[in-house]
Amino acid sequence: MIVSYLKYIAVIILLVAVQKTLIWLIALSNYNIAPDLVILMVIYVGIARGHIEGSIIGFLSGLMIDMLSGSFLGLSALSYTLAGFIAGYFCIREREEFLKKYFLIGIVFLCALIGNSIYFLIFYQGSPISVFNIFLIYVLSTTTYTTIVGSLFILFIKDSKKTAYS
Amino acid sequence: MKTIGLLILRIKEYLILTVFVVISLVLIFNNDNTQIRFLRAFAIGFVGTLQSGVSAVPNVFELQSENKYLREKNIELANEVASLKEAKLENIRLSKLLTLKEANVLGVISASIVNKSLVQTRNTITINAGENDSIKVNMPVVTDDGLVGKIVGVSKNYSIAQILYNKDLRISAKVQRSRVDGIFTYDGVGNLVLTNVPKAADVNPGDLIITSEYSNLFPGGIPLGTVLETGNLDNLFKKITVKPAVNFNILEEIFVVKSQPNKEKSDLEKLFMNK
Repeated sequence: MIVSYLKYIAVIILLVAVQKTLIWLIALSNYNIAPDLVILMVIYVGIARGHIEGSIIGFLSGLMIDMLSGSFLGLSALSYTLAGFIAGYFCIREREEFLKKYFLIGIVFLCALIGNSIYFLIFYQGSPISVFNIFLIYVLSTTTYTTIVGSLFILFIKDSKKTAYS
Repeated sequence: MKTIGLLILRIKEYLILTVFVVISLVLIFNNDNTQIRFLRAFAIGFVGTLQSGVSAVPNVFELQSENKYLREKNIELANEVASLKEAKLENIRLSKLLTLKEANVLGVISASIVNKSLVQTRNTITINAGENDSIKVNMPVVTDDGLVGKIVGVSKNYSIAQILYNKDLRISAKVQRSRVDGIFTYDGVGNLVLTNVPKAADVNPGDLIITSEYSNLFPGGIPLGTVLETGNLDNLFKKITVKPAVNFNILEEIFVVKSQPNKEKSDLEKLFMNK
């Protein structure tokens, strides 16, 4: 168990590093939209291991992001914790039959939407942007882009599992 | 204990979530940026709205004590208002007296009334100034409104003055407008009157009656009162009722004018009368 945690943490550190340094390569800089790779990993852990692991990894990775960004300590920790916890409701160990390819994409979208909503709606408090615009410009677009990137991973995992089973 | 343990195991996911959420919120609210200030303001507003909603529901247990407190406070404030009104009135009175004191070239001695009678035929006031304050018999007593009377008795620290409502006090007076002379006195039954005024004299209600320069006791020009009504006393004289310039019912502070009768004049007049 500790080993698997360490693996997750290692992957998270790697993804955080990528998120902070290389994400601009695939970001839509004109629209200020970038996929969130770290939340994808958190959602994956939640789906693969359940509520507790999803929450723990979500909190730790969010804290890491917050400390690196240095602007709003605790906000990513909160949004990632909740995203990881919600992903735990669709834990693959218990409901494998429901986890079809498109349903999994839907779960990623839902969890990312919740995480991003919490993050952006708090982050833009006190700004002149309306809640509707925050949701449209930041939450929905980031979530969609993240889900698209996540879909590629899902396809890769499914295909690799199929290969492994065959 | 076992049940609690089982319960904790059953909800451990939620407990862990709660712990992380609480830690995150603590971290968030320890920030001091615009967003958190806005959220704090929003939270304060939200809680304030809730509290105002809750406070709209009357608490019957607190109402009684609150009512008691408010009643006590009300009495306390009413007393304070009364004392402030008293101080204000006193201030007005003293200001007017001060003006009079400054205007009086003869010099005056201020005093307060310590006793007063108004229901007899020979009414007097007692004031808290006497020989030690240079007060002498026959000195006029005035206020800013007009003449009060004259000093008739003096001790070291107190003096007694006859007031206008005293049958023994007769003052040489005149109508200010028409300069008609008369004797101002008290009829003993509640009226101040101007006597010895010929029937044909020009006196109308509202005319101001003042002390005459002929008086050896009082300086001329001090208001005595205004004519209330005029009528005929008999075939020769008018009956003139006067409303006093000074309101004796509310009189509290007075001035004693440092003026003495002209001895030479009074001696000459006495000598002539005795011939």
